[in-house]
Amino acid sequence: MGACLRISLTISCLLLIWISASASIPSRESLGIAPQDLSYYKSDVIKCKDGSKKFTKEQLNDEFCDCPDGTDEPGTSACPQGKFYCPNVGHIPLTTFSSRVNDGICDCCDGSDEYNGNVSCPNTCWEAGKVAREKLQKKIATFQNGVTIRKQEVEKAKQAFAKDEAELSKLRSEEKILKELVQKLKEQKERIEKAEEEERKKREEEERRLKEAERKANESKNAPEESSHDITDQAPEKLSELHNQDAMEDHHDSAVEDKNDYTTGTEISDNQQVANDHDDTIAKSGHEADGRSDGSSFSHVEKQHVVEAQDNAVSKANTDYPGTEEELSSHVAEQGQVSDSTEGLSREELGRLVASRWTRENAAEGNDEVNMAKEGLEHDEDIREENHDGYISDSDEDHKFEDDDLEDDQDAEFGEDHEEPTGAYSSDEDDKTDYSDLTVSGSSSWLDKIQQTVNNVLQAFNFFRRPVNISEAATVRKEYDDFSSELSKIQSRISRLNEKLKYDFGKDREFYSFYDRCFESKQNKYTYKVCPFKKASQVEGHSSTQLGHWDKFDESYRVMLFSNGDRCWNGPDRSLKVRLRCGLKNELVDIDEPSRCEYVAILSTPALCLEEKIKELQQKLEDMNTGQPSAHDEL
Amino acid sequence: MPSPADRSPPILLRVAVLFLLLSTASAWKKDEFRNCDQSPFCKRARGRKPHSIPSLSAADVSLSDGAVSARLLPSQPLRQNTAGDDPEADRDPSRILLLRLSVYQGGVLRLQIDEDPSAPRRRFQVPDVLLPDLDDHRLWLPRLSSPAAGSSSSFYLADGFEAVLIHDPFEIQVRRKGSAEPVLSLNSLGLFDFEQLMVKKNDGEDWEERFRGHTDTRPHGPQSISFDVSFHGADFVYGIPEHASSSLALRPTSGPDVEHSEPYRLFNLDVFEYLADSPFGLYGSIPFMLSHGARSSSGFFWLNAAEMQIDVLAPGWDDSASPAKGRIDTLWMSEAGVVDAFFFVGPDPKDVLRQYIGITGTPAMPQEFAVAYHQCRWNYRDEEDVAAVDAAFDEHDIPYDVLWLDIEHTDGKRYFTWDRVLFPNPKEMQGKLAAKGRHMVTIVDPHIKRDDSFYIYKEASEKGYYVKDAMGKDFDGWCWPGSSSYPDVLNPEIREWWAEKFSFQSYVGSTPSLYIWNDMNEPSVFNGPEITMPRDAIHYGDVEHREVHNAYGYYFHMATSNGLLKRGNGMDRPFVLSRAFFAGSQRYGTVWTGDNSANWDQLRASVPMILTLGLTGLSFSGADVGGFFGNPEPELLVRWYQLGAYYPFFRAHAHQDTKRREPWLFGEHNTALIREAVHVRYSLLPYYYTLFREASVSGIPVMRPLWLEFPADKETYNTGEAFMVGPSLLVQGIYEKRQKSVSVYLPMGQSWYNMRNGAAYTGGISHKLEVSEDSIPSFQKAGTIVPRKDRFRRSSTQMVNDPYTLVIALNGSLAAEGELYVDDGKSYDFEQGAYIHRRFIFADCKLTSIDVRPAKIGGKFSSDCVIERIILLGLPSGAKKAVIEPGNREADVELGPLTLRGGSSLVAVTVRKPNVRIADDWTLRIL
Repeated sequence: MGACLRISLTISCLLLIWISASASIPSRESLGIAPQDLSYYKSDVIKCKDGSKKFTKEQLNDEFCDCPDGTDEPGTSACPQGKFYCPNVGHIPLTTFSSRVNDGICDCCDGSDEYNGNVSCPNTCWEAGKVAREKLQKKIATFQNGVTIRKQEVEKAKQAFAKDEAELSKLRSEEKILKELVQKLKEQKERIEKAEEEERKKREEEERRLKEAERKANESKNAPEESSHDITDQAPEKLSELHNQDAMEDHHDSAVEDKNDYTTGTEISDNQQVANDHDDTIAKSGHEADGRSDGSSFSHVEKQHVVEAQDNAVSKANTDYPGTEEELSSHVAEQGQVSDSTEGLSREELGRLVASRWTRENAAEGNDEVNMAKEGLEHDEDIREENHDGYISDSDEDHKFEDDDLEDDQDAEFGEDHEEPTGAYSSDEDDKTDYSDLTVSGSSSWLDKIQQTVNNVLQAFNFFRRPVNISEAATVRKEYDDFSSELSKIQSRISRLNEKLKYDFGKDREFYSFYDRCFESKQNKYTYKVCPFKKASQVEGHSSTQLGHWDKFDESYRVMLFSNGDRCWNGPDRSLKVRLRCGLKNELVDIDEPSRCEYVAILSTPALCLEEKIKELQQKLEDMNTGQPSAHDEL
Repeated sequence: MPSPADRSPPILLRVAVLFLLLSTASAWKKDEFRNCDQSPFCKRARGRKPHSIPSLSAADVSLSDGAVSARLLPSQPLRQNTAGDDPEADRDPSRILLLRLSVYQGGVLRLQIDEDPSAPRRRFQVPDVLLPDLDDHRLWLPRLSSPAAGSSSSFYLADGFEAVLIHDPFEIQVRRKGSAEPVLSLNSLGLFDFEQLMVKKNDGEDWEERFRGHTDTRPHGPQSISFDVSFHGADFVYGIPEHASSSLALRPTSGPDVEHSEPYRLFNLDVFEYLADSPFGLYGSIPFMLSHGARSSSGFFWLNAAEMQIDVLAPGWDDSASPAKGRIDTLWMSEAGVVDAFFFVGPDPKDVLRQYIGITGTPAMPQEFAVAYHQCRWNYRDEEDVAAVDAAFDEHDIPYDVLWLDIEHTDGKRYFTWDRVLFPNPKEMQGKLAAKGRHMVTIVDPHIKRDDSFYIYKEASEKGYYVKDAMGKDFDGWCWPGSSSYPDVLNPEIREWWAEKFSFQSYVGSTPSLYIWNDMNEPSVFNGPEITMPRDAIHYGDVEHREVHNAYGYYFHMATSNGLLKRGNGMDRPFVLSRAFFAGSQRYGTVWTGDNSANWDQLRASVPMILTLGLTGLSFSGADVGGFFGNPEPELLVRWYQLGAYYPFFRAHAHQDTKRREPWLFGEHNTALIREAVHVRYSLLPYYYTLFREASVSGIPVMRPLWLEFPADKETYNTGEAFMVGPSLLVQGIYEKRQKSVSVYLPMGQSWYNMRNGAAYTGGISHKLEVSEDSIPSFQKAGTIVPRKDRFRRSSTQMVNDPYTLVIALNGSLAAEGELYVDDGKSYDFEQGAYIHRRFIFADCKLTSIDVRPAKIGGKFSSDCVIERIILLGLPSGAKKAVIEPGNREADVELGPLTLRGGSSLVAVTVRKPNVRIADDWTLRIL
């Protein structure tokens, strides 16, 4: 200690003395040195750890930096790259930057970093340690409980996975049988139709002959009316189809959604069959049109059809599109003609426009029509590029055509299915409800029953009876339609299961249940929805913004990534990074946008409560309790 | 098919227009700004040939009140070759102009030309820019010499210089005594033109001007002024910011071999995504041009706040057969105002700067924290964000001093308010920063939201404190908050009122550690012509906006700065950053180069831009590190930090759409590189602070063009890539991606030491240097001593008591000199002498510390700080120890590294722990 009492260090040494009197402070030889490092400094000549130089014991902590790496000044601020160790007895030892030594700010709870007397730092280690220990204990408790829950979850996942796999294989075999049946029915139907056709021809031939005879009899009077008859005969039929559809929409909130769901295998009841057929044609023409993604082509074709039908109820849905394709394309066309001039704008619009350059926000904020049309234009391109399932995602009306809003609606209906009242819910209610009548529960008689029915139908039909029995023919047709729709439902279910099972659900499939769930968090005016393996969105009132589509797990299942969300205007595609941490509930606890359009969230979940981590935490707690140093480095 | 417009309702048409405009928003909008051809005064003046307009002659030349006065009359007989050129040809010839020439101490000639007081209206003379005591420095002219025939009058200007007024046609010349060749001249080319104010004769007369849907009523008709100024013996001219350019010297804008170019435009504008190389005007205007050549330097300043256009004419521009060599002609054109021009005789470039500073004022001495690193972003969202960023700096051991809040911290862009949700406890937040010695800056812009529930708006509205529109109503323009009005800061009473708003009582949530940023003060008006205020808006004293435009931001800056001064009872040096500026802004604070972009070209342009600001008085300036718009790749960001660490004003800033780019976000390696760059600045803070002191006394900027330090070295005249920091350090930026080597010219006369490894280089040649990613090339000139602090803290505040390192770079005769200035870092006590100012002289192996404060000065400031390390570059080995007097103390001498970073090799003789106090006199002998 005496060696440091040179003129140069009078002040600090006086303070050292003062501090030694007030608290037990290490001597100069050990100041700022971690216990496990003390032996390194034993010898009289010490090497810089980077090997650059040697220094004497005199030069240890002498307020002059000899080793650029800071080896010789662990206890002073002399070396910019040095590290200072504070024992913090009663709390966790801390290794901090040398720049914190005697800088006037208390960094170590034991105050050992401030020894030059400019400030006095009370020893707060016991209090701080107590708080920290309690916190750590709580954390350990959480982990311990969490591990139990996690085990249950993993077990459940195991079962669910097995069940899904079983279902899949079962569905596959059903598919095979059903295919055959449908094929048979199809053949039967075709034969009936052929027979009917022949009958019809015969009948026509007969009528023609009769008419011919009649005509000859009354040649001068009735001749011109004939051809228009056929047309008017058919027209009412078509109209009634449409009326049928309207009625459905009027009486059933989700009619439009059901139409959309044809691709995903909704149960189709008899009276909806017409609508379904209708969808089929739309789907076909949609695909023929340009092979775009389901969502957009659907809306597009839907619109065309409705325009043709001139039906008020349906076309309402259409006019609610803020920027239909037609309008949009006309805008695009206009662009060529409008000069780069702001003269047509009001002063306010001009102000907003110029402001928007800096903010990249919508210039016409507060003007919804303009707003939506602009968004529409923007999104139009996105849709063409990405396989996007919303036509114009920022306007509410078109959400009727979006899957996730279906879920919303159904969510309300099937509220009792919520497993997590804290904002987590199933994302796939439709799956469950749709297939409740299918074989999910494994009723083995179902197929037998079908086969029986089919056989009955097939046998009942007598081909040799003339004329064709109309009710029997109708039965065959109906059976054919029913079973082929069952088949397509099963196929769709199969593809869904396949889709699901190909995901990576974690090393214990601990995230298996997440597939059917969404997590929600409300922050100010926004509601954030995170649906693992699917997508994440930000909802404000009626408008929803895609924050990203499921990308992958990252950092060994500690992070979920969603990418390729809606494009930020002039910016990146939105993305979301969800950090997972151990908690007893699945809960979205925090969401933030640190950079424009780059979101981060925290999701607490038992899935992250790993057993091996408990030991680590317990060790840490033990260290804190005993005041023993650990290798832990706060840097 | 009908045209789409026919089918669409009007709203949809607008949508289309909006969309079109928005979609092309990422480019500079040339069309939105007037070019010279669209400004009648500019087009007309620019189209003239020398001596093509009726000339004026000086009559009744006499001395009155110690100055020269004369009347300018049309020359007799009128020249006849002017048909059709000038609409003013039919002016009342009896109306005369009054000319006055006066001389100020230190080599300054002032020329004033105005209309006769009988004119229908007084023309605007910019107040409050020239120093108030300027007249005390005016020289009383005892006599006028008029040689034979009375064709000219000459008089004393400065030792070795005289001024000459040639009578017909009138011409002003500044000459070296006894030489016929002038240094500076005005109207040598006969381009002087002065449109006198007119009264409308009949209603049919249309003075209106229209531009992109905006109408300027121009109630007083055309009133422009233009004239030529020639810089003789000049190789290059510099100055007249603000323009973005890769060239430090002003490139010719007209003449042979000049591609079609606009003149340099001085018109303060908020330019979205400005180009890295363009003569179009940006945020500020200083109509001050300097020339430099091997023989001499000179300067010319026109105090006029109206739109100005300046042509730098290439030799042969006038189609003359023998272009004048060594002379640079310039054409100055202004839309309004008077002639109030200053000629600076030099002859040394630093003399020109001192002469200019002598009339417009020295730069304010900043607080010490302001010289350190600033962290800004549009926007740190909320208190949590602020706390997290602050904590992350500590976590990564990167020092910073100031955290900035942009417009989003306010309640709906109502300045002086806080968003209650995002910033519920602003005082507590500032307190937490202040506890670590850090400061905060909030933004306060001039556009006041038109909202009666906003107290500032209401008060100003009731008091009639806003700029009026042409109809006399409060001007209503669109800016961040929407519909806004603008305080008429030309009025001193309104400036006083504005200043009061910064008191702690008035600005709720402000604390003594909070300082201010003035943005958008050109002023920016989103729906105004050229994104600014209409020229026919009316200010205090019936002054039209066209007359005062370029100084609006200056007055706003002044009012804000005075507000902070008042807030601290005159004890606390204000810190106010302003985007707009004018001559004299240096007295009120700091400026930066506005909304630059994250690309290499803009990194390069930042250096000529900042050097130009420094040459025109604005020593304390910088560019947004990283580039405001866009996302810099990590390499660019690192290079920008390495360069920005040497800017006088060192702040990182980013647009709200950009990705986060705090220093630790680009991986461990880049974090380390940025930390190192910031450390370089912090270690040099004692040197920088000393340079700021020098600037505040002399006006010599902190960051200097090479030729300012090496005026005789022709190689340096147009260097815009390398620059000097003070007299001792030379820095070369790296402006290209993955650059492997760079050629650096080190000026002649001295050798140079690499600041990282101590390697010596010969001066007077270009050196091809390998470039590493660790740093940009930097050198210490032999013969200089640079004070450093090599311990790093969270912020500069905690470094106050830390010991110093002196780096002595010896010249050929083993000598060196340097200075250190220290004061309390925040108050004005230094004005009473409360500071330490030492000169360190090394000669004959002896280092001496000398007090250079004036002998009689009072004031007390002391420091216990010592020098912990002295590094000697260029000392032959063999030194054994150092002996310090008084006390006959010994200190060890050994071989040590030049910097304390890992991997440094031992390259320099180092005195270990001399521990001499910086406040004391002492000597240290190397034995």
